[in-house]
Amino acid sequence: MSPLPSYPVNDFGPLMKGLVIGGVGILHVFLAQFAIGGGMLLYDFERRGQKGGEDYRTFVDGYFKVLVLISFVVGALTGVAMWFTTIQVGTRTIGVMLDEFHWLWATEWVWFSVEICAGYAFYRFGRRLDDKSRRRLLALYAFAAWMSLFWINGILAWQLTPGDWVKTHSMWAGFFNPSFWPSLFFRTAVATTLGSLAACIVINTMDLPRERKSVLIRRAARFAAPMALMPLLALWFLAVIPEDSRGWLLGGSMPMMMFVGVAAGASTLIGAYVIVGLLVKRLFINGATATLLLALAFGATAAGEFVREGARKPYTVRGVLYSTSLTPAEVAELRATGIANDTQWPLTDKARYVNAQLEHGAYVFRTLCDACHTMRGANAVMHLAHTWTLDQMRLNIAKLQRTKAFMPPFAGNERDVEALVQLIRWENAGNPAAWPVSDDATALAQVKAWLDEAGTAPGSTAEAIDPHGSRH
Amino acid sequence: MWPLESQAHPLWLALYLLTLAIHVVLISYVAAGSAYALVQAIRKTDDPIAARVRDLLPFMLGLGITAGVAPLLFLQLLYQRRFYTANLIMGPRWGAVVPALVVGFYALYAAKATEVLRMRRLALAVGTLCFGFVAWSWTEIHLLMQTDSVWTQMYAAGERVFADAGVVVRLALWFGAMASAFAAVASWWASSDERRRLAVIGLGGRAFSVAAACALKAQGAAVAQTAHGWLYILAAALVVEAVGWAWQFRTGEERARTLVTGAGTAALLAGVVVREAPRLLLLEPPRPAAAEASGTWVFVAMVLVGVALIAWIVRTVRNAAPDPSH
Repeated sequence: MSPLPSYPVNDFGPLMKGLVIGGVGILHVFLAQFAIGGGMLLYDFERRGQKGGEDYRTFVDGYFKVLVLISFVVGALTGVAMWFTTIQVGTRTIGVMLDEFHWLWATEWVWFSVEICAGYAFYRFGRRLDDKSRRRLLALYAFAAWMSLFWINGILAWQLTPGDWVKTHSMWAGFFNPSFWPSLFFRTAVATTLGSLAACIVINTMDLPRERKSVLIRRAARFAAPMALMPLLALWFLAVIPEDSRGWLLGGSMPMMMFVGVAAGASTLIGAYVIVGLLVKRLFINGATATLLLALAFGATAAGEFVREGARKPYTVRGVLYSTSLTPAEVAELRATGIANDTQWPLTDKARYVNAQLEHGAYVFRTLCDACHTMRGANAVMHLAHTWTLDQMRLNIAKLQRTKAFMPPFAGNERDVEALVQLIRWENAGNPAAWPVSDDATALAQVKAWLDEAGTAPGSTAEAIDPHGSRH
Repeated sequence: MWPLESQAHPLWLALYLLTLAIHVVLISYVAAGSAYALVQAIRKTDDPIAARVRDLLPFMLGLGITAGVAPLLFLQLLYQRRFYTANLIMGPRWGAVVPALVVGFYALYAAKATEVLRMRRLALAVGTLCFGFVAWSWTEIHLLMQTDSVWTQMYAAGERVFADAGVVVRLALWFGAMASAFAAVASWWASSDERRRLAVIGLGGRAFSVAAACALKAQGAAVAQTAHGWLYILAAALVVEAVGWAWQFRTGEERARTLVTGAGTAALLAGVVVREAPRLLLLEPPRPAAAEASGTWVFVAMVLVGVALIAWIVRTVRNAAPDPSH
């Protein structure tokens, strides 16, 4: 049996757990990347300011206040929120990541601490420091912020592409995994772009004539120029991720493909405006347009993070933990033993189920579905299965990884499938007060046969086609 | 040396205790400092200590939160199953500490920026309430993660609040200790007269926390025999600190401040070990993947680099020109 412990499960009502962690994560990533790009831009502006550009210096002190008030507060605290939210929605996943990479996580914290100390020192003492100290402090701030990204990027990329770590369990093989470099460069380009767009907003709030604002805007726009590399970086990323994950993004999963489209489309629009409009045509950008572009960048970040999370399916850590937080070995074991009603963490709504099979179905739902689905809210199981016939439902659930290859294999036996099927039907029937227990031996034998045919390997590896043309 | 000798992974424990102590100093300044500034705002006193505190509070909170990430990380390594379980049982109620901190953070900025007394009072009251809520929540989860016996019942009943009698008393102990730590830190920026006033807060806070500790003992709390050495160090440090506070109250001398700081630091370090002692009995063997994970030397090297860089930052700002507004 797996040494990983079982944990209580919380129900977030109509909110899918992915939406909860996604909401916090996207905000955090957006603010953290803004802090990195903002730091680089500030260093550049400070250098130009020290060469005689007074407006650059005025900008630096004003922009830094924005950086501190937004990024240091909400940015830092959403980082803490990420810990707590991940514990709520992916307890075993965060535990596995922490066990494997805690020293690197602690290293990331060291750089985060340097970033915060340098940032606060500049915020509080910047105006009273000599030029050289100001420059060095800003350089240190920007470097420390980027180093923080460097370390955390390896850990997050490992979830999707653990690379040779799967065979060797070498931490460095896991850290410098196949998607490490494309992710790092891509995120760096996003960071400088966010810093640039935020700068354009701040410049528009400065009490300067339009011509002088234009000079600052053109300089700030250069920091969005790395967007030109984004298509290449995105292709590099696509090339190194697993084939099945690439498949979801390029048409295998309609929602994921749409999010790829949103991220790519929004990025193209921003890139085109900045590169053609601001850098080539040297146009002026007002505060409203800059805000709109930053909002578009937020949308692109959100879509990009959704894609990154979605591409991992059916895993949270590829090859190690499924999205159900079960290991492949546990899936095989539960297929043989079935899912037990958890007495340590009993159902909190036990009284609403009108027979023991439905109650068991609720345990099965909580163990296997709850991580990504709700019963009747976002990504609701009862809606997804609403039009399925009884046998179709049994078949689709028993051969889950074949029904959709981004779904994990069903981690239970035929009685678990039947309990879940009956629960979904009961929910769709409006929760009647009486519901017969389904114990048809023929139906159970058929479900078992389907489970056996599907096996416990993930859908992406179950590609064998028999001579008659049907997949096993 | 106990408690490190008996543990499967002493470095995690040592780093947890050390970073927790640093975190405690900073958040004590924030929690007790907010309350102090609030009281002075209500009293309409033109108090230089309160003005200085308001100015420093957002900065101290930023450092406090940053310093808090490290013990949070090592806590998850040492007590993963217990900490995660308690998190999940308390659920969204526990998660509320983050929005409370965000609100508290902005309240401190508002209190610093506003010249309107009513607004300042409101901002400081909001901040104090938020930090009080966070302190209460941490005390609750600290106790809940050690009380397996109530887990199943709490989860089944959907209860999100661990209404244990120990929570209030422990919280009182913390508030007293925080006041004392605040007074010790604030003394470093204070004039002689101000230091005498701060000594009253320091000594009063410490007396309050000792009284709360006695109440905890009366409730049945005990310190394991193995931790008694640290308990004696704690007791000795508290006696020396009390002498230091009395000296500071009488003379306001800088040397008294140094004595208080030294004794307070010793009390803090011994205190976090004594606090940990009952929980160490519940420590589980480290998970194989965690115990075998590499990267220790990278971390050690980066800590050295980080400490050197932070030392350079401190030296740089100490060379800053004087503040023209002072």
